[in-house]
Amino acid sequence: MDALIARADAIRPLSELRAVKTRDSGKGKAKANSKGKSKDTSTSNSDYTLQSISSHVNVPKSLAPLDPSSSKSKNDEVPKYNHIANKKLRSQLVHQHALNSNLSKNALETQQNLLSLAADDAGSIQVTGPLEKTWRISQDEIVASVGGEAAKGRRELTFGPGQGAKRMKWSQNGRHLVFISGKGGTKVSSVDWMGGNVNCEVDLLAGSNLAGAGGNGGGGEAARDVTFLQDQSFFAVAQKRNVFVYDRDGVEVHRLNNIIDPLRLDFLPWHWLLVAVTNSGHLSYTDTTTGTQIAVHRTKLGACNTLTQNRHNAVVHLGHQNGCVTLWTPNLPKPAVQILSHMGPVTSISVNPSDGGSAGSVNMPGRYMATAGRDGKVKIWDCRNWKGVVREWTVRGAGDVELEWSQKGYLGVLSGGSVNVYHPPHIVTPYTGSSSSAAPPLYLSHPIPHKPLQCLRFEPFSDVLAIGHNKGLSSILVPGVGEPQFDSLEADPFENAKARREREVKGLLDKIQPDLITLDPSMVGKFDSAALSASGSSLVATAAQSLLDKSDKVKWGANVQVKNVGVDVPFSRMKRVERLAVQGKLDTTGAGDDSEDSDVEMKEGGDGDSDDEGGLTREEMSKKRKMRGKNKSLKRYLRKQRKNVVDPQVLAVRAKVDRMREEAKAKKLQMKAGGAVEENKRKSALDRFKAGSGK
Amino acid sequence: MVKISVLQHNPALHVPIRPGDPTPVQRNLNPSMHPFAKARERTRALNAAKLDKIFSKPFVDSLEGHIDAVEVLTKPLESLTTVASGSWDGGLILHNLHTRSEMLKLPQAHKGKISGLCFADPKGSRLLSCGVDRNVRLWKVGTGDGEDDSGASSQEPLHVYPWKTSFNSIDHHRSDPLFATASSTVQIWDETKSAPVSNLTFPTSNETVSSVRFNLAEPSVLASVGSDRTFTLYDIRTGKAERRVVMQFRSNALAWSPTLPTMALLASEDHNLYTFDVRHMAAPVQIYKGHVAAVMSCEWAPTGVEFVSGGWDRTVRIWSSREAGGKEKGPGGREVVYHTKRMQRVTSTIYSSDARYVLSGSDDGNVRIWKAKASDKLGVITARERASMEYRESLVKRWSVDKDVGRVMRTRHLPKSVYKAGQLKHTMLEARRVKDERRRKHTRAGEQKPVAEKKKTVITEQS
Repeated sequence: MDALIARADAIRPLSELRAVKTRDSGKGKAKANSKGKSKDTSTSNSDYTLQSISSHVNVPKSLAPLDPSSSKSKNDEVPKYNHIANKKLRSQLVHQHALNSNLSKNALETQQNLLSLAADDAGSIQVTGPLEKTWRISQDEIVASVGGEAAKGRRELTFGPGQGAKRMKWSQNGRHLVFISGKGGTKVSSVDWMGGNVNCEVDLLAGSNLAGAGGNGGGGEAARDVTFLQDQSFFAVAQKRNVFVYDRDGVEVHRLNNIIDPLRLDFLPWHWLLVAVTNSGHLSYTDTTTGTQIAVHRTKLGACNTLTQNRHNAVVHLGHQNGCVTLWTPNLPKPAVQILSHMGPVTSISVNPSDGGSAGSVNMPGRYMATAGRDGKVKIWDCRNWKGVVREWTVRGAGDVELEWSQKGYLGVLSGGSVNVYHPPHIVTPYTGSSSSAAPPLYLSHPIPHKPLQCLRFEPFSDVLAIGHNKGLSSILVPGVGEPQFDSLEADPFENAKARREREVKGLLDKIQPDLITLDPSMVGKFDSAALSASGSSLVATAAQSLLDKSDKVKWGANVQVKNVGVDVPFSRMKRVERLAVQGKLDTTGAGDDSEDSDVEMKEGGDGDSDDEGGLTREEMSKKRKMRGKNKSLKRYLRKQRKNVVDPQVLAVRAKVDRMREEAKAKKLQMKAGGAVEENKRKSALDRFKAGSGK
Repeated sequence: MVKISVLQHNPALHVPIRPGDPTPVQRNLNPSMHPFAKARERTRALNAAKLDKIFSKPFVDSLEGHIDAVEVLTKPLESLTTVASGSWDGGLILHNLHTRSEMLKLPQAHKGKISGLCFADPKGSRLLSCGVDRNVRLWKVGTGDGEDDSGASSQEPLHVYPWKTSFNSIDHHRSDPLFATASSTVQIWDETKSAPVSNLTFPTSNETVSSVRFNLAEPSVLASVGSDRTFTLYDIRTGKAERRVVMQFRSNALAWSPTLPTMALLASEDHNLYTFDVRHMAAPVQIYKGHVAAVMSCEWAPTGVEFVSGGWDRTVRIWSSREAGGKEKGPGGREVVYHTKRMQRVTSTIYSSDARYVLSGSDDGNVRIWKAKASDKLGVITARERASMEYRESLVKRWSVDKDVGRVMRTRHLPKSVYKAGQLKHTMLEARRVKDERRRKHTRAGEQKPVAEKKKTVITEQS
């Protein structure tokens, strides 16, 4: 029996056993000596087997010991969690914290390495002096200086007057382009831009397409907008009657009957939702995996010509004829945000897809929105804070202004007869100069002689900007606008058919439910803070606290400790937090600051008789006045009920409170009379035996 | 002079160099390149939880052969495949789990019920059985290895140890040729002698001992549970009972932890399982609530983390000893429940030696093989599959606090009878608790703090 117990006692962490051993060995020696000795033994005691193999093997990251040097240097960063009594939990938290910091450090390093690799590829324009301006450089110069393969990005496609590209959209990976061209926009073409092949051309006017197969696509209709679905294998076209879906070869595969007279289209790739806004001002979400229409919202703002998405939270931005910009999610029947942005119809919206900086930038991606209106203004908005524009400027030239952000945060603006591209940091920095409407410094400018210019789109993962104009489609080179390092697991321009199929299946499996679309995408995986704070407030309002009058609370603070009060909820029924709160063991260090709630203004009444109103704050007073005369009888009844129940503990608390009140009153009186009163009073011989007179 | 460079990808870097090579992968870890990373991971976790439920098919096979209820199951320490089962009709069968065949069948090993079985050596070549016919028999059994079949199983016992009373349980010493039997007394036998060498019964005890087990780490210590609601510890070196506790209800079975030498698990008649640390017997370490009828058997997994129990409620339950269970504990906290339509009262449960399978013997005369982890995949698993399974597992663990993922993990189907019995039990316990609260509120009983549930379990400790 004893042997069993001894054996069980011997089971403990190796470090503890070691500590015991060294303590025993150093017993006879001097203190300082033993200390040094113990350190030596602990270092020399290391595992020989481990040493012999450690140079050849990799310990998995999760099993690797926490780096002692790093933890020592950043000792202040690792929280101690001293307030947590449970040792296991505490050590687990510390371990988790250290692991997380290690992981983030490693990730950052890896990212830096990747970026340094990619930095060679990234495009740029380097000027040698302040007199050299990047916007003076023409496309011919760029083409001449880069030469070779890169120069092939500069293309001019001419279709004929009035038959230019009206709308276009790149595929996710930037390899394919789909655009509307032809007379009145009756031709939809999908091309493999990188490979230089035409996938298909759908001629809506002829009622048949060049690929030879398929239906008539709602024959004779003009296309208003076009977008790729998950990849180049399908694209949706907003035609006069309905939205039609064509496959890669231009065969009509679907007709979405319940979207009537659509104007603009977009596709939310992570949610597999096709968003369409109609001439009647209805915004509809269609789940392309099941074909069901999951939501239709009436915007009540008339025909809508501008639709874009924020790629980082899947919120849809609509620009309306009255100058309003509205933000929509499928879950809200009303816009999540509505701002009056322009004095006139909104012509274009774009959301910044980049985080506006290098690695480690604190900006959240998708923070800035750019809008352009028919009032000739371009405005930049901060999506976290809609108080006002960050920056605005006026553009010259007739016609609708179109704009788009590139992946790296460059802003392309199409106005009049030219396209202007602006730098990232200056676009979003508030301008403080004298004239509030100065344009940010220009990065690149390119005139196109075929007015009107109709649309522009930056090619993802490339330095190419495609512009649709009256006569055709031209692409220009804008160095530095594309993300040089693509992620093969997200979007890969060079993927083969197998990888594309695999990605499609993976994407379907990872499809995010439309309910999760919110303005703040970081909501997923967080605790519901509202519920947490609600439970926190209920802790404070225990029955014990409610026994005290409000005025008492004001006088002695909300933290008057009342113990053993007959609470309605029995102890065994309480939640764990409530139990801890009752026992006074509640840990409030991690909770949100509710100081504003508990902060009660201290107001002392001028004289003693205004005891009940003296301690009330203004809101409480106004509330009290408001409540006067309302439902008084019920209150009286309840008060009587409370009074008539004889509970010794409640009585004890009442007595205590009364006593404290009396004492406070007495003290106040004393203070009023001043010290002289006390001295004037004659002391009797027996006063020395009074309680509290021990001097 | 202006230096201009334009981003250009080299297509040759993004296609395999030779046909058959893997396609090169390029990564960018910038969070802005991975929108909705968290939301997508949550979706994956939800899918993983659902897949886990879809793949939950725990029943593997049923071993038939007994013509009456299976009373006891046992396995040798060092064999993965051999399992012996004894039944109420006195039949004894040695099963091979690998081939699922009978290696040995003794239709009349004992007259009447076989109440105890254990192997006499770790390899499993000799088997001890005891029964209500007041005999202990030692059998020679083949290990089924093939080449080492020199002593093939015989239909006749090697040795018979007769005694005056019927036996309830038997257990063999880990290393010495000793075994302990439980009847109205606890006796130690030497294999070479025909009478017990010592009697360890607690001095004042007058009970029927229902189960006796040797400790696994300290083999001279043994423990027993008996009809007097006792849990008793003995030491064969001192040759007497050391101490015992009397509990509120009697225990039906007992198991020592294979990893924590002082930890014992009791299967109690009050529907609960208790773990006791024998150093501190005043209260159990943990109470495991979940069964809706008496627990008839319990057994630790070889890992010492999980244990299995079988009950009168016709369910087999697998528990994690680290989690006490309960509604608010999350998915890891609730035990796994196995049941089939045809399984009756479960009388004995054991873990296989590799901790991958659980065996249960029940009143319907079948021995059933279950997976220890319900969604485990049998057969060869490729490295990719293994990686994806591990990824799914960690996803579920990470997102188990999520409302939907947690709900999927917690949801389980129970037979209607078990579900209703659980509801009824809950109602009764709730009524009892409310009554107690009211009593405490309005009488002097409320002046003391309520007694913790663990403290209520043990009535007294004697030594």
